[in-house]
Amino acid sequence: MIRLVLLLLLAWANPGRAQELPLVAALSQDAVEVTTGFTGTALMVFGSTEGPIGPGGDEVLILARGPTRPVVVRRKVPILGVIWVNGPSARFAGVPGFYFLAGTRPAWQVLPEEERQRNGLGLDSLPLSSTGARSPAFRAALLALESDSGLWVEDPAPVEIAGSRLFHARVPLPAAVPTGDYHVEVLLVRSRRIVARQELAFRVDRVGAADRIATVATEQPFVYGLACVLFAALAGWFGSVLFRRS
Amino acid sequence: MQVYLPIAEMSVDAFLLVGIGFGVGWLSGLFGVGGGFLLTPLLILIGIPSPVAVASGANQTLGASVSGLIAQWRRGNVDPKMGSVLLVGGVLGSLAGVQLFALLRRIGQVDLAVSVFYVVVLGTVGGLMVMESARAILRRRTTARRKLHAHFWIHGLPLKMRFRRSRLYISIIPPFAVGFGIGVLSAVMGVGGGFMLVPAMIYFLGMPTSVVIGTSLFQVVFVAANVTMLQAVQLGTVDILLTMLLLLGGVAGAQFGASMGTRLRGEETRALLGLLVLSVAVSLLWGLLRRPANLFSSGPAL
Repeated sequence: MIRLVLLLLLAWANPGRAQELPLVAALSQDAVEVTTGFTGTALMVFGSTEGPIGPGGDEVLILARGPTRPVVVRRKVPILGVIWVNGPSARFAGVPGFYFLAGTRPAWQVLPEEERQRNGLGLDSLPLSSTGARSPAFRAALLALESDSGLWVEDPAPVEIAGSRLFHARVPLPAAVPTGDYHVEVLLVRSRRIVARQELAFRVDRVGAADRIATVATEQPFVYGLACVLFAALAGWFGSVLFRRS
Repeated sequence: MQVYLPIAEMSVDAFLLVGIGFGVGWLSGLFGVGGGFLLTPLLILIGIPSPVAVASGANQTLGASVSGLIAQWRRGNVDPKMGSVLLVGGVLGSLAGVQLFALLRRIGQVDLAVSVFYVVVLGTVGGLMVMESARAILRRRTTARRKLHAHFWIHGLPLKMRFRRSRLYISIIPPFAVGFGIGVLSAVMGVGGGFMLVPAMIYFLGMPTSVVIGTSLFQVVFVAANVTMLQAVQLGTVDILLTMLLLLGGVAGAQFGASMGTRLRGEETRALLGLLVLSVAVSLLWGLLRRPANLFSSGPAL
């Protein structure tokens, strides 16, 4: 927040410097820490432009993407018309674990279709290649599931403009946000063409106890399992001691 | 208070988990069972992924059973020899069960398998318990004398062994098979198996009731420890923070349950436990038969 205020002040106090670049953008933080008390957070993307933005002027688009992973989508089918079980499945490679797109206006309004698809601006332009079941319903289901979980967001609210040259947008990160490297692209659009872009990055990391537990569990699973067993046995023994006293 | 579970990778209300632990601990103290059969479905219900719920449920069962085992051991109600035979079967069974679980996870049928196992096993056990205890309650006044234990085909099997504490001279094949079966179930269902082991020991092996609870706890503790280890090493799905919160409530709940349990009569307790087991089975069956709200589900590709 302090950095945001500072940058905004800098942009106002020193307009000459800001005008050297058509677009300047920054993030409110470059690391998100997932602790044992993590319930989701939000970070700010903000910046300023050389020319006026908003109605009649340039447009700003903000795209944030998280680390990719393969995902399987399964469809339930009734066996003998009675019991619902997982039936056909489609495997999608390189599915972003987080996707956020916002603009001063929706991307499809400010860019030609071909340009928008090429830059992956919009959930419908994600290059999701699948193996397995062919039906397009699987892709639609993946979109619906990820959107419901709050991990894929498109145009939640327009990018806010202040004083026709400053913009800022809030990127919400829900509790289930995957850990890893995130890339943020800020694009400046003028007369249906991308005229400037700035790439930013941040990391989501587990820290503290949550990180140590997850690290030990993956790197030394035997030690971790042993610790779990001993811990549970100790808790049980402690319970029996308490029980004898009372 | 929200808490981020590092293995389940989600945040859950800590008080809800402690509360679930307390409720399940209360029931397990009341009925003298581990309570895993209630815990795992409850965890799945609040949105914990099935593999994590099963693995952490086994870990919690271990903790809940240790205090019971210590108490029973002090009173000399454990048959270590019978327990060891059951345990050898149980360890081999849980090895096979974890392999089965990993296979089910690969083909995406974990949820189905866990539900079907629960419906079949809980439905059968619950139904038998309710029937048996209803008969016992009706028969209470007509004091019929029963034989010490019946002899049938099981007693003709080879490899006989003498179990002094249980006052039995039987083949080791039936207890081994019982242990193996319970081991498989505990790996797939995340339960200790006490609620199945106790009737199996009484009716199938003909053990005296006094040593049944202690010996079943002996087996449950070691099988649950084995399942926890295997799940942690092979699948990495044991969430220690989840277990910790559940045990916190469970240890306290078990005390209240146990003190209340002494005021209930045996038949009534068994009938209540039977009804509880049956209702869990029915609610899971309903989940399988109902048309799901969302036909699609997604998960990480393995």
